[in-house]
Amino acid sequence: MDAEGLESFRHFVAGRSAALLRTAVLLSGGDRHAGEDLLQGALAKAAGRWHRIEEPEAYVRQVLYRQQVSRWRLKWRRSEVSVAEPPETGPPGTDTAAAADLRLLMRQALSRLTARQRTVLVLRYFEDLPEADVARLLGCSVGTVRSTTHRSLARLRTLAPELAALDPAAGERPSPRDYSPVEVRP
Amino acid sequence: MNVEELVRAALREQADEQPPPGAGLADRVLTVRRRRRNRRIASVAGAAAAVITVAVGVPRLTSGGHDVRPSGVVDSHTVSAHPKQSPPTELVAAGRTALAAYYTSKSVFSNAHDGVSTRTYWLLDPKSGRYEKTTRWSWVAVAPGLHTAAVLEQHLPVRRIGLLDLASGKIKRWIPVDHPVGGLAFSPDGTKIVATTYGDNPDRFYQEDKSGNAFREVPCSRTGFYVLDAASGKGSWAAVDTTSDDPDAEPVNTRQDFAFSQSGGSIMTATSTAPWIGFYDVHGRPVEAPASEAHRSWYVLAGLSPDGTKLAGDFAGKKWHTSSWLLDPVTGKPKTEIHGQQLLAWASDKSLIAWDLTKGEKNEFHQRLVLVTIGSDKEVPLSGFRKGNDGAAGRWQPIFADR
Repeated sequence: MDAEGLESFRHFVAGRSAALLRTAVLLSGGDRHAGEDLLQGALAKAAGRWHRIEEPEAYVRQVLYRQQVSRWRLKWRRSEVSVAEPPETGPPGTDTAAAADLRLLMRQALSRLTARQRTVLVLRYFEDLPEADVARLLGCSVGTVRSTTHRSLARLRTLAPELAALDPAAGERPSPRDYSPVEVRP
Repeated sequence: MNVEELVRAALREQADEQPPPGAGLADRVLTVRRRRRNRRIASVAGAAAAVITVAVGVPRLTSGGHDVRPSGVVDSHTVSAHPKQSPPTELVAAGRTALAAYYTSKSVFSNAHDGVSTRTYWLLDPKSGRYEKTTRWSWVAVAPGLHTAAVLEQHLPVRRIGLLDLASGKIKRWIPVDHPVGGLAFSPDGTKIVATTYGDNPDRFYQEDKSGNAFREVPCSRTGFYVLDAASGKGSWAAVDTTSDDPDAEPVNTRQDFAFSQSGGSIMTATSTAPWIGFYDVHGRPVEAPASEAHRSWYVLAGLSPDGTKLAGDFAGKKWHTSSWLLDPVTGKPKTEIHGQQLLAWASDKSLIAWDLTKGEKNEFHQRLVLVTIGSDKEVPLSGFRKGNDGAAGRWQPIFADR
């Protein structure tokens, strides 16, 4: 990479790495270190062909998504994700603490999905991409994106039965009741 | 709120909690990129450190005897070139420096993913002036003078170091060690050896698929180094903690050997943060860089010129125009530009052995050894062109030593 390329690469990383890292951490199921590794690998790949890349962010994101899915497909050793103890939540309530508990529960469930399932959900619900764009990015059909999304949500409900109560199809929502915030140990 | 909405909320909350990456991410990435390109070059950094030396008092391990080196090796003013040989079969040399050995690497897998990069060496036979293949050694460092090599047996790390008489091909001495060793390098004067100790095989790697794209190095298990007297085998071990919180102490690669600084007074190794190179005393305590080596790039093997006035620098070209910088050793600023894609070893105070492409070549890996000279556009081809991309099996890697 020549001096001009180095300058441009450093400028890009300085400006976009925070946003890219957020995505990388989500793709890694909340594992900050794995997310940093993932991003670093994608940036290294981009650096190798910097002068030929027209849209760096699109390129790096595509590498992030595909690399993560590839890791799953090739049974890349899955690092343990450091999460808090599962909260012993009661049925979902409407108070803030209960909502926070549910989000935490969801995070833990997300971390237990396969990388492909999680990647599809990150693209659909965090990046807010249409199914066709997700399919293009992952190199699969729209039908695969749709079915993976469906199976991933179903898996989340299995992993965290408390979430089933959110689904209208799961039946009547239990009556809200008070329950104390649970202790979450790092 | 349904499940989809909760997924969205949980992801956004988790994303918002992420602090930005630490400063210097771009430079860390560039280091990773650089280290992959130079992985195998780096592995011979220790051996190459012996290149820019003043060859004095290299211990002969034979008990006297006549000098059996061919005249081409003895005469340090000639160029011995074989532009049609790749890898070379006959002596390649220019000025003070000779291609003392070369090796190829291949990956040996114990299962679908865990592998070890293993080397096959070709060592210069001083009797015939030809390179002879050997699979006996997992590591070879050649001392200035081309008489002696320090070797390690297979299945690193190992508990003894061999001193090999290159003329007879026999081991003249085994040096037993308590801490297993994975890499060796001679001091500039050839009287000492720095042996890097590891807890695990430093050539291990993890590969996700056979394409090699999803390659991942395993953590560095380096524990420290010995500094040993080559003649007596005596010396001491120094621990260097790779798990230190000090980022300067963090190794770059799974194999990250120590080598002597070119002044010979300290031990150096690559680090993952600027200035990318760290220096230690023989007790393993960090020390200031020698004044003339503070701006050294560990992956530019040529280092300091024999007269100490110029420091080989990084690539200075652009796209397919290849050239390299020569730096002021004290300031680190470019003094001049010279032909050559990668500067490997100084042949004299004004010329170097380098990798380079031919004019119009569009494959950055299709290189050959050349002799380049300051102020001259003339390149003298020393070897044939290497085939394959960086890291390809069978791609030969040179080891230079003073002759």
